[in-house]
Amino acid sequence: MAAPSAAGLCRRLRAWLPRIMPVRWSRYNPSYLEPEVKKESYQKPLEELTEEEREQMDLKAVRPIKAAPPTLSSSVFSDPMISKFTNMMMKSGNKVLARSLMSQTLEAIKRKQVEKYHKAPENEKETIECNPYVIFHQALKNCQPIIGLSNITRGGKTYQVPVPLTDNRKRFLAMKWLITECREKKHRRTMMPEKLSQELLLAFNNEGPIIKKKHVLHKMAEANRAYAHFRWW
Amino acid sequence: MAAPAYPGWVTRWVSGQWRNKKRPPTLRPPRTLALADKVANRREQLTEATCITEMSVMMACWKQNDFNDAPCAQEIRMFYDCVAKAEKERKNQNEDTLSSRGNLPSSKVNKLLKRFPQITRYV
Repeated sequence: MAAPSAAGLCRRLRAWLPRIMPVRWSRYNPSYLEPEVKKESYQKPLEELTEEEREQMDLKAVRPIKAAPPTLSSSVFSDPMISKFTNMMMKSGNKVLARSLMSQTLEAIKRKQVEKYHKAPENEKETIECNPYVIFHQALKNCQPIIGLSNITRGGKTYQVPVPLTDNRKRFLAMKWLITECREKKHRRTMMPEKLSQELLLAFNNEGPIIKKKHVLHKMAEANRAYAHFRWW
Repeated sequence: MAAPAYPGWVTRWVSGQWRNKKRPPTLRPPRTLALADKVANRREQLTEATCITEMSVMMACWKQNDFNDAPCAQEIRMFYDCVAKAEKERKNQNEDTLSSRGNLPSSKVNKLLKRFPQITRYV
């Protein structure tokens, strides 16, 4: 009883006070600069900097700087793609669980690859990739669709038009497909790290259901290539 | 009397213009005859889709190679380059210059006219 009335109240209050309710965009003044987290940029001596880098440094001396978000880290072990994937796996804000699942996934990948390495004959040992980060990045890259479909309405009918995708959208689609595939299509009792490591290894070798999904999307785009002229951008 | 000077109304009555249904002016402009500060909203002509040739080349390559990405790497790279160029061009085109067809969209025209309005009265 309290929850629906609170939501309705919140909506009415938001309509009445448009400036006071929090919005999704950034509330920083446009003059605020992004924080520089990489240690290497501060260890460079002054003479090696180019003109634009010197200008940037002078600008930083006078302008205020935004607070660094807790997800941004200067550690060598942090990877923005892995952080993004962890956030997408997270449910109800349980970052601890999502992070542990991610580390278990990487460990599972490493274990499988090391086992394969030790079982392989001498001449094939170099071809086996053991670094789980490399496998993760390559698998994601193989899963990214190259062209997408978007709904465009002309004369009352909606057509699926092939459309180029931005990098962010490709990355998002690849990660989303991976996670939904693991959550829905596998057996209920298998653990997430196991399912994920299996899918990532298949995607690394260009096999598996996610690569098939990508191919299906490409085939549909190819079938609808006559409607490509409906795009206006 | 050589030329009898009749009053004006007599001449007008005699000429019969009232009988010819002389009317006051039919054009009664409801607003002042001056240019307004806005133009009508016109549906902007849609620009063409970009990168269609690269896309069709890439799709032909896909059809030949059974939708594998490895053999088509060159075509895919060309498609990505074209897309990046088109995106950059879209971002760079200045809002206040004319579009590729030489027309300003009606919203921009209205903004300019609002900055320099018609003076309807002198104080």
